[in-house]
Amino acid sequence: MKKLLDSVRALLSSRAASPVIIGLFLLVYIVIAFETEDALTALIALTSQSLLLQALLALLPVSCAFRLFGAAQSELLRHRARSGAPASLPAGLYEETVQLPAVQALERLQERLDAEGYRTSRGAGYLSARKGVSSFLPRLLLLSAIFCLFAGILISISSRTSHRAPVIEGEPLPTSRGGGGLVKRIDMKNGTGRVLARVLDIQVAASESGEAEQSFGLYPPALHRGYFVYPRYLGFSPMIRFAAPDLPGGFQGPVVLNLYPAGREDRAEIPGSPYRIVFSVAPRADGSDPFVAGTVSFQFKILKGEELLLSGAAPVGGEFAKDGYRLAVLDSRRMVLTDFVKDYGVLLIWTALICFGVAACVWLPLRLLVPGREMLFLQLPDSTRAYSRAEGAGTGHAGVFHEALDLLEAEAGNAAGKCPPKGDVR
Amino acid sequence: MMVAWKLLSHLLCFAGIVLVLLRGFPGRRRTVATCASAGFALGVAGALTLLRLLPGEPAFGIIRDVVGGSFLLLWGVSVAAIYLSTGRGLPTGWLQRSLERSLPAGCCALVAGLMAGAVSACKLPAGDPVAPALLLLAAAALAWAAWRLEKMVPESFAVSPAGLATGVVALLLFSSSALIRLDLFSPLTMKVMKFAHDFVHQFFESMLIPDHLFIQTYLWGYIGLLFGKEIGFWGALVILFTPVVLVLLAINLERLPSVAHIRQGAQRRRLLAQAIGARRRRQLVPACSLLIIAASVYRSLYPSVEYWDPKPVPISASAAGDVFIPLKGEVDLQDGRLHKYLFKQGGNEVRFFVLMTPAGKFTVDLDACAICKPDGYGQAEGTVICYYCKTLIPLETVGRPGGCNPVPIPFQVKKDGVHIDGLTLSNTWGSTVQATSRVKEGGK
Repeated sequence: MKKLLDSVRALLSSRAASPVIIGLFLLVYIVIAFETEDALTALIALTSQSLLLQALLALLPVSCAFRLFGAAQSELLRHRARSGAPASLPAGLYEETVQLPAVQALERLQERLDAEGYRTSRGAGYLSARKGVSSFLPRLLLLSAIFCLFAGILISISSRTSHRAPVIEGEPLPTSRGGGGLVKRIDMKNGTGRVLARVLDIQVAASESGEAEQSFGLYPPALHRGYFVYPRYLGFSPMIRFAAPDLPGGFQGPVVLNLYPAGREDRAEIPGSPYRIVFSVAPRADGSDPFVAGTVSFQFKILKGEELLLSGAAPVGGEFAKDGYRLAVLDSRRMVLTDFVKDYGVLLIWTALICFGVAACVWLPLRLLVPGREMLFLQLPDSTRAYSRAEGAGTGHAGVFHEALDLLEAEAGNAAGKCPPKGDVR
Repeated sequence: MMVAWKLLSHLLCFAGIVLVLLRGFPGRRRTVATCASAGFALGVAGALTLLRLLPGEPAFGIIRDVVGGSFLLLWGVSVAAIYLSTGRGLPTGWLQRSLERSLPAGCCALVAGLMAGAVSACKLPAGDPVAPALLLLAAAALAWAAWRLEKMVPESFAVSPAGLATGVVALLLFSSSALIRLDLFSPLTMKVMKFAHDFVHQFFESMLIPDHLFIQTYLWGYIGLLFGKEIGFWGALVILFTPVVLVLLAINLERLPSVAHIRQGAQRRRLLAQAIGARRRRQLVPACSLLIIAASVYRSLYPSVEYWDPKPVPISASAAGDVFIPLKGEVDLQDGRLHKYLFKQGGNEVRFFVLMTPAGKFTVDLDACAICKPDGYGQAEGTVICYYCKTLIPLETVGRPGGCNPVPIPFQVKKDGVHIDGLTLSNTWGSTVQATSRVKEGGK
């Protein structure tokens, strides 16, 4: 059982695990791409329905967590070794390990390494030398980012729920359970930032269910009862009154129109009749945005079935009448077609993006300017053991290490001594 | 003579493959040369049978998929190579040992020869019994020449397993790029374009990022670049070249032998210099493969094929809105060629074409698809090509909606000719093609 657990641990903490799993998903994508044009959408849909694929996807964050743990453990062991408490050092902790004859003193070697610019530390039976800064921190950040990214994708794919509803001024916020606060005002201004061209502000009054006054913007989307409020499209909700010769009772009521930007058309069906009215917002004479200004004039086409009966324009508060047809726009309120999205994976993906950014910003200068190099010499009862590792190319470091070994060998009075190699050098 | 000239590049590719294989399996030269030649003959025979049994797109599709599969395999090999080069332990000893045996070497050579033969056979003129025999004779002669040439190359020019895969696949890609129906670059471009489009859309939706209405125009302009054909072109280039670059990188990152146990500095340096030299020579085949793939991309971008692209004939609708095209008139609609028309109505211009497919059925389609800018289509043998993204659409599938296929239009065929509703033409063009153009211009 222990052997099996060790094998599973070794598999999951292997650096090959993530590329293999991603490769499998790539293969699934390629197979799907042969069948359908919308391969990515199909793959997401397939993963959200297939427990097997979800389990496979879950292996990515799990593998990352194992690697994170392994990296932290290795760093801790190296730290202990540097501090003169070298317990048994596992293979692979250092890139190169060489065994030499026993040396009595390490003072000369310390002087030599000091002269080479290494920070040395000598204690009873050991000498450690370091140069540069270890890339452990950016590595930790990178692994955390990968963990968050795939955990976020998994949560998002397996648990995301969403519903779309119009948020209209003067109406309660449309929530799944009802009882949302009244939407006091929807404001839009031209943005002054580098990213958003518009600034949207949906102000919601305190609700009877005890929620405080809230305000929802564009990005990052705010949470309401566990749902992200994600504004999608803008429009208007005019109250219209329509009468036709063969519709004596007429129709009066609000309609929801997705009409933004100006020129876009949307249609309102008149219930219980063959009439449809196609609305659009007339561009304002001064070129300003009707949604920002809040005042709007509607252009419309009245259709009976597929037949176009007449077209015209009606400002809010005005009425259009012709050939027995009457259309009045009594008032108009701003509307935001909004998605209410329950998806906590988004938070993890945002975290991952931040971690990726920070890791890249830290890693690049470290690797270019002060790459970490490390040597450790341990005096054992019958021999001396030397360890070395370098982040990056480390050719210069390898040269210094080889010279240090030559020096130790000479000191041991055995210049031609050959010891079995226990590692490789790049 | 013309056929021989057309087949020359395929034959040279086969000779190149044999050369790389011989150097890749230095202990199994005879087996490799024999199996590669036998594979080539089998490939020619198989492809000719396939083309006879499944005429048209299906046969070409199968051969193209097999070449694509070999490229996918190269990706796997390159990722494994880069992984191994960084010193991570993978149990590859059994693989090394098996590669030194005759059976794996013979199988590799047989499969490589098979694919090279199948690709070459697609270029043979139909119904000529002599051409296949001449092709096989020429291939055998070139395999022998490659055998002789390989013996003259110094032993120090070794080929790593990953380098071997790189060389073979690069030559196969170059060989297939000579035929537009086997070419991989254009379909790859299209797939990358579609992936980029879907990815951006999914990313925006998943990250709850507002729609383009709320984003600064200049920024949306940059995002719009992801929807253009350039992303397809550059993305496909990255996909094609990356495995070769990874193999080069893997060889470059290969660990040098340990010299820490040697106490003579000069000896250490000599050993390291020898290892570095050997490493550089192993990079020769992947480096040449880069050039070969670049040449195949060039051939794909500038194929030596002339497209049939007639000037659109202006046409108008009757008072009832019916657009009528006679079967026989200035043009013969049943000649299997693309016939383009320009329909103008109320300031709108609609370009469409009428085509009789190889199945003998008419299809009426817009001269544009629902994804790309409406640059139109040209016709080559067995296919039409989208001028914008260079995607080839088999004639058999023209008339089906989706992807880069021309947008189909409902129509009626009567005894006198083809009847199309003018309003449907205008509306379909307006709702699909013009919307597409806006997206391609950055959503402005």
